[in-house]
Amino acid sequence: MVKRKTALYIRLLLALLPLIICATNDGDIRLLMSPDKATKSDAFSRLLAAKQVATFPVLNAINSKKLFAYNGQLVSIGEKNSTANQVTYDVFLLFPEIKTLTDKNNAPLKVPLSALQPIKFSRKERLSLIPLLPYINLTSTDKDLRKLAYTQFQNTPKLEDISILEAASAKETDTELMRFAAETIAIVKLLNATTPEAQIAQIRRLEANKGDNTVFLLNSYLENTTPLTPNVQKRAREAITNLNDRATRIDWIQNLFSGLSLGSILILIALGLSIIYGLAGVINMAHGEFMMIGAYTTFCVQELFKISNGGALSDAFFWLSIPIAFLVSGTFGLVIERLIIRKLYGSPLQSLLATWGVSLVFIQLARTIFGDLTSVKAPALLSGGWHVAPQLVLPYNRIFIIIITTVMIILTFLFLYKSRLGLRIRAVTQNRNMSACLGISTKKIDAMTFFIGSGIAGIAGCCMTLIGNIVPDMGQTYIVDSFLVVVTGGVGNLFGTIVAGLGIGQFTKILEPIFHAVYGKVIILGIIIFFLQFKPRGLFPPKGRIADD
Amino acid sequence: MKALLKNRSYDYIIFIALFLLILPLGHLLGVISVNTISLWGRYFCFAIAAIGLDMLWGYTGILCMCQALFFCMGGYGIAMHMLLSASGEGTYGKAIPDFMVWNQVTELPFFWEPFHYFPLALICALIVPGLFAGVFGYFIFRSRLKGVYFAIITQALALAMWLIFLRNETMLGGTNGLTDFKQLAGLDLTAASTKLLLYITSCLVLIGVYIGSKKLVNSKFGKVLVAIRDSESRIRYTSYEIKNYQVTIFVIAAVIAAIGGILYVPQTGIITPGRMDVKASIEMIIWVALGGRGKLKGAVFGTLLVNFLYSIFTSTLPGSWLYVIGILFIVTVLYLDQGVIGLPQQIKTYFAKRKSAKL
Repeated sequence: MVKRKTALYIRLLLALLPLIICATNDGDIRLLMSPDKATKSDAFSRLLAAKQVATFPVLNAINSKKLFAYNGQLVSIGEKNSTANQVTYDVFLLFPEIKTLTDKNNAPLKVPLSALQPIKFSRKERLSLIPLLPYINLTSTDKDLRKLAYTQFQNTPKLEDISILEAASAKETDTELMRFAAETIAIVKLLNATTPEAQIAQIRRLEANKGDNTVFLLNSYLENTTPLTPNVQKRAREAITNLNDRATRIDWIQNLFSGLSLGSILILIALGLSIIYGLAGVINMAHGEFMMIGAYTTFCVQELFKISNGGALSDAFFWLSIPIAFLVSGTFGLVIERLIIRKLYGSPLQSLLATWGVSLVFIQLARTIFGDLTSVKAPALLSGGWHVAPQLVLPYNRIFIIIITTVMIILTFLFLYKSRLGLRIRAVTQNRNMSACLGISTKKIDAMTFFIGSGIAGIAGCCMTLIGNIVPDMGQTYIVDSFLVVVTGGVGNLFGTIVAGLGIGQFTKILEPIFHAVYGKVIILGIIIFFLQFKPRGLFPPKGRIADD
Repeated sequence: MKALLKNRSYDYIIFIALFLLILPLGHLLGVISVNTISLWGRYFCFAIAAIGLDMLWGYTGILCMCQALFFCMGGYGIAMHMLLSASGEGTYGKAIPDFMVWNQVTELPFFWEPFHYFPLALICALIVPGLFAGVFGYFIFRSRLKGVYFAIITQALALAMWLIFLRNETMLGGTNGLTDFKQLAGLDLTAASTKLLLYITSCLVLIGVYIGSKKLVNSKFGKVLVAIRDSESRIRYTSYEIKNYQVTIFVIAAVIAAIGGILYVPQTGIITPGRMDVKASIEMIIWVALGGRGKLKGAVFGTLLVNFLYSIFTSTLPGSWLYVIGILFIVTVLYLDQGVIGLPQQIKTYFAKRKSAKL
């Protein structure tokens, strides 16, 4: 009974311990703001000696010379906001935990530098922080620095650091770094474990944790630690094999995913190309440039948003720019059709050359207006990725492109097969003269098709800003590949385009790791030529008499 | 000459007088710089390749988008020979070209070996593109790919080959290409006399290729080509094996392009993959289209005209060239179906039509 009571007391004490430590630290932290130099210095050295995780953010701010007093609290500055008349900073509280200060409306508080009172320390004092840097960085606001700090502990594993590591990892919010911290703790414990049972327990923890470095760490553990009992060795080897198998599987999934993503980009570009070619027999060499126009439209929308919002940028611009890109690219397509391509129906090679001329003019026009390199800031919603499992991250922007492609395919399908206009487009595609006889204005249909085809290219361009820079000749990157998609799929065939696009995308990504990307491309071309030996008119050739010359 | 005068072929006479008499004489008298001579020499090489393209597109109706590839294959062949013939004279004094030393290669790759000897190198530089075109063409024409399909496949081929030539491990100099040539068949390439000699050779070869091609297209073979262009299925019904004709003309065009490339590289002193990208091939098409396709004269004239314009525009209005060539493409396709060569005829028919309309 007595024993139980003592245990209870001890437990209570342990639970209160952080609070008690916190309280003592709290005093020292407040003393840092004292105007008296000696007091400040004493408090600082006490904080150094205490090595408490809670105080690390403060020490970190001292190290980077960004410690300020604001309203009797210790704060540091974050993001810089420049407006026309003044420069302000986001401010965050450092103790007892990192917290961004907010105003009444819960928006981040923006404070000019003049309102903050800097707390200065001598160079000598800052230098005395150096041995503590790995500890301090464990709570840095910079994710990379935290990761670096944990790496340092992986390299110099000492048992006495465990408590600090555990305290720091408890504060960690990022999933990736939480795993990294757990890995670090386990490897430190493993390297300092003496009994086989303890070693095996830590190896199990490492395996279950599935960290990024685990295989490497276990391998060097096997090599450098002697003597190990056979049991431990066996367990470690098993863990390595399991983790390696898992890595291979994840590589496969990643590859399949990037194949899917490349395929959907190709489909998105080839969709418009295929409709236009099917209807009018025009291979539109300027199709890539309509895509480029879509990308620049997105850029322009972004800049307009910036101007109207006074420098700040919300995500809304991107969502808005998708329909705008469709309209702008579509209009360009319409104009080109009216001015040039209309005169060339029935002579596909001529129209191919004329549209190539158009593409050259567009590229040079973009270069003259926008210069060589611009980029769009991807919306916050689409940055980062979906952590499906440890080491398996699917970037949101790629997922978004796949979704957009799916939506566009469905919309195009509905449009072509369920609407009156789509019915007419299909009629003209099948037999132009007969449709004209039946009272369909083929000229209007041609113009409409060009508008829609170019518009889809514009949406593709809008999506391309998520995965790369905007350059005047960006249209050329994927255009040859999407021509191949159209040829392989069978001209003017929606379903063929989808199958061929996914196939070419998947094949490219499967071949890429085996051969170099360049040879992968050559092999794909070889496969397509070989395939066309048997199916010269693509996967799903048009049927019936119109299929002949 | 007499025959030319008798037939009132003044364009031939002007060509010969201008490029074989006035330009070389002007150079010898010191009026025309050696650079101008060399520039026109290079245009002749382009014109040779354009003749091949015209036979393919203008006469057979096959739009080939990889003519620059064959041009460069020939060029790379002669460039490899020139590098090897100067082996030991490089910066490092090694028996292999300098760029291989940079890439940590110690031994000459096997496919460089035949290029040690001038005649063998010449033969290789012609046979390799010919063979390549033969194999590629066989598979393409066998599956009856034509028109736009053929254009796209050749375009993809040009892209793929360009990417391959850009790689360092293919041992062809990568992005930098092959350069720093010293001599060709014992002649110092930097000397003005060599440049003049190359110029005259290019001009004579151009004339030779022109006459040969003219004979070819006027032969029965040439008539079949035109028939294929005009109606492929009818020719097939009259039991001609179209595939053989197509492959043959494809190979001939490739070899002619390679001849152009062989003469081109000693005059520029460099060959890079940039000469063989998709853009370069399509530019060759505009030479033919602007000059007048279906007429060999037009291909030569168009090439010289576009390249002459290029040198003027890039020196006076840099940055405007893409506009000019782009608009040339559009205007040619829309309004000049017969090309510049056919322009007088087009105007004549236009007025004749108006006249008859008035009556």
